[in-house]
Amino acid sequence: MNNVLKFKNNKTDVAAQDEIYNFAYLDENTKRMIRRALIKALCIPGYQVPFSSREMPMPYGWGTGGVQVTSSCLTTDDVIKVIDQGADDTTNAVSIRNFFKKTANIETTEKTSQASIIQTRHRIPEEKLKEKQILVYQVPIPEPLAFLEPRYQETKKMHALSEYGIMHVKLYEDITKNGHIETAYAYPVKTNDRYIMDPSPIPKFDNPKMNNNPAIQLFGAGREQRIYAIPPYTEVTSLDFEDYPFDPSKAPHKCSICGSNESFLDEIITDDDGNRSFICSDTNYCNQRMENN
Amino acid sequence: MQPILSVHNLNKYYGNQVGCKNMNLTLYPGEVVGVVGESGSGKTTFINSISGNLIPDSGKILIETGNETIDFLEISESLKRLLIRTELAFVHQNPRDGLRLDVSAGGNISERLMSIGQRNYGNIRQTIFKWLDKVEIDKSRVDDFPRTFSGGMLQRLQIAKNLVTSPKIIFMDEPTGGLDVSVQAKILDLLRKLVRELNLSVVIVSHDLAVIRLLADKIIVMKNGEAVESGLCDQVLDDPQHSYTQLLVSSVLQV
Repeated sequence: MNNVLKFKNNKTDVAAQDEIYNFAYLDENTKRMIRRALIKALCIPGYQVPFSSREMPMPYGWGTGGVQVTSSCLTTDDVIKVIDQGADDTTNAVSIRNFFKKTANIETTEKTSQASIIQTRHRIPEEKLKEKQILVYQVPIPEPLAFLEPRYQETKKMHALSEYGIMHVKLYEDITKNGHIETAYAYPVKTNDRYIMDPSPIPKFDNPKMNNNPAIQLFGAGREQRIYAIPPYTEVTSLDFEDYPFDPSKAPHKCSICGSNESFLDEIITDDDGNRSFICSDTNYCNQRMENN
Repeated sequence: MQPILSVHNLNKYYGNQVGCKNMNLTLYPGEVVGVVGESGSGKTTFINSISGNLIPDSGKILIETGNETIDFLEISESLKRLLIRTELAFVHQNPRDGLRLDVSAGGNISERLMSIGQRNYGNIRQTIFKWLDKVEIDKSRVDDFPRTFSGGMLQRLQIAKNLVTSPKIIFMDEPTGGLDVSVQAKILDLLRKLVRELNLSVVIVSHDLAVIRLLADKIIVMKNGEAVESGLCDQVLDDPQHSYTQLLVSSVLQV
């Protein structure tokens, strides 16, 4: 609230802002409701907290959950970065960044290290996150058991009683069909040795980054009306078998722009002959490396 | 010897309608108890009430785990569900009710193993093959989906899925219903073999006296939701006392 008051008292900011919007679009009561859900989610890592998701000025599937979480966390001092599949310059990232620029009139950045809140669709930045940073994930389907057990009531019971045998049946089927665990994104994790959680469709390459991360990780699913979270320095393990251990895996190539061997790569077809090249999916990481060289 | 399962004065009503009334049952380790009766006599209500599928209105169900006696109707839901997926097993009449049809045969068998914490793919695979062999399903079918199986194979797969964690008590509701006679014989043969080999304790419901005579040690005859006669299987079937049991025995086709 203090930050909001500060914002409202600041005459120049108000003038700059389109006055029909409350700070960061959502009204204060809604933000308070979402903050309560966030606090509960942080107290029970990986547990899905229901919240009454609002109609946002963008379609479901465009990050309405993430936007509501970000909006509830924003203060006037925040610097926001928005990425979509790692990139700062794709439609979803640009439109959400502009949305907050317009409704909250706050500073935005493309630099991971300078952002205090990073809203992301389907990636975790390559650069290590720090304490006091918040990573907000956009989540399409929060329930990791959804495709295995269609009854929502039953999945709630399975979570409550830690009945997670069926999750491994999925991995078993993967190995049986393909000789290895084929799931490459939305790879299920266990949070704080208790709840099985869908990490949103990030590549499994990013899964290890969730473990013991100093930043706060918040997950918002707008259409499904669920919020969940990983507090800083929480153990997050990817499910596997003893004889088929989790493998983050990476394309055996270098970025053809910056030459990085460590980053997650996008495969790009460059001409009609099927020639292809690989470039960093995290555009900021790639640009920084180019500037430093 | 302690009974592994004992049921005392169990009642289940559907509104004013009697489901089953004043039912008692004692099951010793290694014993097979058959429940017979015509359609609508309350057999299925009874087996569902004692296996955790239905909540009875009154009565007591005691399960002996070896270390302690568990009052099945008083325990927490989490313990109850743990028991249901480890110590108890339920074989449905329709195998499609007990199987996941979009998961391979091996995946179906492995679910109970993984739910009790097995995490070694190689070992799980070995156990699956062992059980496919036991229920006489060809090993090459391990990765096929149940929907490609015949009715008899589905029922054998359901049996393997249930027995893989060596449950102490197995409930079967018409396990051979809806199968043709030769397949029935095969399943019965298999069940008899498994019961003897693994010393299983079984409660089996059937309207088919031949099935009960072949498998059961003791028998309970039900009519209108109540037990009208019970005792040793051969004794009851060879010398029925209650008029309904006499009718039931005499109505078996003599071939």
